[in-house]
Amino acid sequence: MNVNKGSDYPWASYGLAWNPKKGLGSSQYALYATQTAVIVVLSYLSVVLLGPLSYSGISLFYFVYPFFMVFSMWWGLWGMIAAYVGCVIGAGLMVGLGVVPSLAYSVADLVPPLAAFVIYRGVLSKRGIDPLFRDLVEREISGYKTNRAAAWFWFILINGVIFNFVSAELGVGIQYAMGLVPPSAFWLWWWGWAIGDLAALVLITPVIVKGLSGLVERAGLINLGWISRRCCG
Amino acid sequence: MSRESSGRSGQEEGKGKGKGKGKEEEEEEERASKKYVRTFIYSMRVGTPVEKLHAITKIAMILFFSVIAIYMFDIPFSRGGPDLLGLILLLSIVLILLAVARTAKYLVSSYLIMALPVLIGEFLWWLVFNQGLAGPRIPLYVWPGYFPIGVSTGLAVLAFALVYLRSGRLFSSALLAALLWFACVVPAPLDGPPFTFYRIPASPAVIIQVPQEAVDLALAKALGYGVLIYAAFLFLLTTRDAEIVGALLQLKVKFKQAFFAALMFRNLNTILLDYDNVRVAQRARAAAAGRNPLKRVIDLGYMSVPLIASMIKRSTEMGVALHARGFETAGTVTQYRETRSFTYVDAVIISLLLFFLVYVVIMGNSFTSLAARWGIWPR
Repeated sequence: MNVNKGSDYPWASYGLAWNPKKGLGSSQYALYATQTAVIVVLSYLSVVLLGPLSYSGISLFYFVYPFFMVFSMWWGLWGMIAAYVGCVIGAGLMVGLGVVPSLAYSVADLVPPLAAFVIYRGVLSKRGIDPLFRDLVEREISGYKTNRAAAWFWFILINGVIFNFVSAELGVGIQYAMGLVPPSAFWLWWWGWAIGDLAALVLITPVIVKGLSGLVERAGLINLGWISRRCCG
Repeated sequence: MSRESSGRSGQEEGKGKGKGKGKEEEEEEERASKKYVRTFIYSMRVGTPVEKLHAITKIAMILFFSVIAIYMFDIPFSRGGPDLLGLILLLSIVLILLAVARTAKYLVSSYLIMALPVLIGEFLWWLVFNQGLAGPRIPLYVWPGYFPIGVSTGLAVLAFALVYLRSGRLFSSALLAALLWFACVVPAPLDGPPFTFYRIPASPAVIIQVPQEAVDLALAKALGYGVLIYAAFLFLLTTRDAEIVGALLQLKVKFKQAFFAALMFRNLNTILLDYDNVRVAQRARAAAAGRNPLKRVIDLGYMSVPLIASMIKRSTEMGVALHARGFETAGTVTQYRETRSFTYVDAVIISLLLFFLVYVVIMGNSFTSLAARWGIWPR
């Protein structure tokens, strides 16, 4: 078993500092704007491609969920902004939900990445869990042997169950309060949201992480804190 | 959608500026020289009254329509019930605006098939999940017990043929045909000669009764959802990304923040095209052929890898281009060319919407109750 101190982990530089490298470079502007556009498009497709399995912007397989979770771990606040904006535009306005319900229920997509970012970077990363989720698929990260069982346990418990259920409660609850979900159908959509997002998270996150995390990190694109990354060019 | 948009976008490039004229006149001429401009979805014709509205007015329109529709379909039965007439009025206004913007034809050909099942589904959904509501129960014939041969059958076959030829989708066509047939059979006056001239007995009739209030509520929800859907389409079909950025600058949002929004909106179409390309490439490699649903889901994840890789590559190139143009040191920037002035028409429309909002939401008036008092709507 590894006995590293918190500062010895290969991901020790990824923390919760607000803006460790002051100022945003032009490539960061372009990157954050583009990833927001990607999330908007995937949110739209998550609802539209499912056809009858989606209702009022709620999809029974919201496959964009793992994308904005991973993006938030990579790009901090920008990933969370993408999650919110993506839901407002892609899973709200573009599928015909009005502007007020879209703005309100999209808060449900902001909470999980925000809370996961704080928990992973603030707490779990100091206890041997990689905040970039690479330990879900890698046995070793920069010479450090990962604990995959623990990584999966925390991943499912925190992202798949706790924050996801809070998100379902917020999203379906807000739509219910606005009269968009019938009272007797509340739990149907609540469980549809929770299980659909959990399935998407478990199935798709490992693919994204395995295919892209290494690439993004090698390119120096991971944010050190909430706002900025290693270099500002 | 995206291909059509980009196809039309070639027409949007303005050419040449007049000499010896004011800047505003030049801009107006330049706009007028374009026939179509690209919008969030598809493209719109330049010069229509809706196109001339300020982006803030369009945003205000969907905002007010949303608030009013949600309020109207949520009025409890203890206070008179949902405002059906108000919702019909609101939906009519939105549809008229779509027609005025000359986007109705595109909407009908592209989104009607998508939107109609949503509205019908919304109606059935609220009907099924509200069986506990009060009020007299009214019968709904789900299965009349025979196959009617007559106008309804002809309409159903015609609808099926038209939709199937247009969309090529068997399920949607059959669903629409069945609903149309059902709607033609249920009203008693249509269920007999001369509209139904022969009946082929099949089984005993199945009659389902539902509370009157559930029907009213389901109808209100479907109408209200229609307002939300078509108001959103009105905005997306008649607004350019550049207009939003221009409006943000007018609202004194910092240039770099407005530029962020511009970059995001600009990239939406590009990402959709990238997604299409990746999907086609995957299909060419038989990635999703003959797989089970679980594998297909995981394929979505694999599709994301090239999509995100190309996103990172493109954003790096954009970043270099911006850096080379001095973006990071930019202070004051020149006037944004798409910024347009807020006219008295915009002010009048926003005032009318505000009046409508106050009249309905704050003062609690219902058009249905009003019409019932005047005796032109059943109580």
